[in-house]
Amino acid sequence: MTTPNMNLRDLVILVADQSSYMTMLIHSMLRGFGSNRVLEVRNSLSVFQALIGQKVDILICDSRLPPHGGLALTNTIRGKTDNEHRTIPILIMASDSRESTIKQARDAGANMVIAKPISPANLYDRLSWVAFNPRKFVDTASYFGPDRRYKIEGFPKGIGRRKGDNAVEVAAESGPALAQNDIDNLFSAVRTGED
Amino acid sequence: MAGTRKHDARLFAVETRFQKLAKRPGGIPRDAAIERAQSAIDDVKPEFDGWLDTELQELASLIKSAELGKADSAWIERANLHSRQLCDSAGTLQFELLSFIANSLCDVLDVIQRDNHDNMESITCHMDALMLAGQKSYRRLRPEQVPELTKGLRRVVEHVTILPPGAEEDHS
Repeated sequence: MTTPNMNLRDLVILVADQSSYMTMLIHSMLRGFGSNRVLEVRNSLSVFQALIGQKVDILICDSRLPPHGGLALTNTIRGKTDNEHRTIPILIMASDSRESTIKQARDAGANMVIAKPISPANLYDRLSWVAFNPRKFVDTASYFGPDRRYKIEGFPKGIGRRKGDNAVEVAAESGPALAQNDIDNLFSAVRTGED
Repeated sequence: MAGTRKHDARLFAVETRFQKLAKRPGGIPRDAAIERAQSAIDDVKPEFDGWLDTELQELASLIKSAELGKADSAWIERANLHSRQLCDSAGTLQFELLSFIANSLCDVLDVIQRDNHDNMESITCHMDALMLAGQKSYRRLRPEQVPELTKGLRRVVEHVTILPPGAEEDHS
């Protein structure tokens, strides 16, 4: 992933995780990246209070944020038509990186999922991806959020693709945890917001 | 969002303030930013000791209550939460053995919760391993440096995973 320099100065970053130590770690990383305005909260209610109280530029949220989880929170933020933060970039941190979970996050309207444990390089690259690879938004009766259509980067080794083959779509079932690269592929839009 | 009225799909470009301002000149180059972040993490590492002690104590106390039959029904969920937090924070700090054991405990707790087992031995042996790996002298170890421990824990997870519900009562 080639990354231009990212300037986080004066951007308000809201970090939401139940674990005080985890938010401290994320806060530290962001400070290292040059961020000077990081807010920390521990639950969804505090996220809403923060969003009402000020302009927040990006939300970094744990998938298990109490009480109902980060995906439900994402759904609510995307779903409220009168919400000025409706298109805010949302990055979900997930300990559970099974494909079904990643797809649920994508379907809730998350811009990106980052697998825990989180390294500074992983966080920087995912933030940079959100900053420099904007996706168009889709507004339908059942979904509001970044365009979910994604590239199929390839097929498993030894399996060719015939003209009549169906597009690859894995059923929503539990499976092994995905590596961050596989997660990234699920969020690589066919079209970017700039085309 | 999902109103009952007919709703045509709309595709539109959005440039958020985050996307606009992140492009400003004056950003820190990636490698330097990552190096600075790593150093900022190193600054808060000393606080890990106190946090780890608290997490382990809370986990141990939950497990003790469960063993004594005094825990409420949500104990396993709370134990799983503490265990996940341990796994994630230890992993971020590159305490790989600690992270591995906590992750293995999460697997055990997931199965026990899902299948309604009562396999406390599998939990207590993970707890013992966590207490050991949490000590400063062992914290830097990687799972492959203690193969007997890691193999043993894997076997415990396998055993719990294939154990039919109710099998524990048969053994007692």
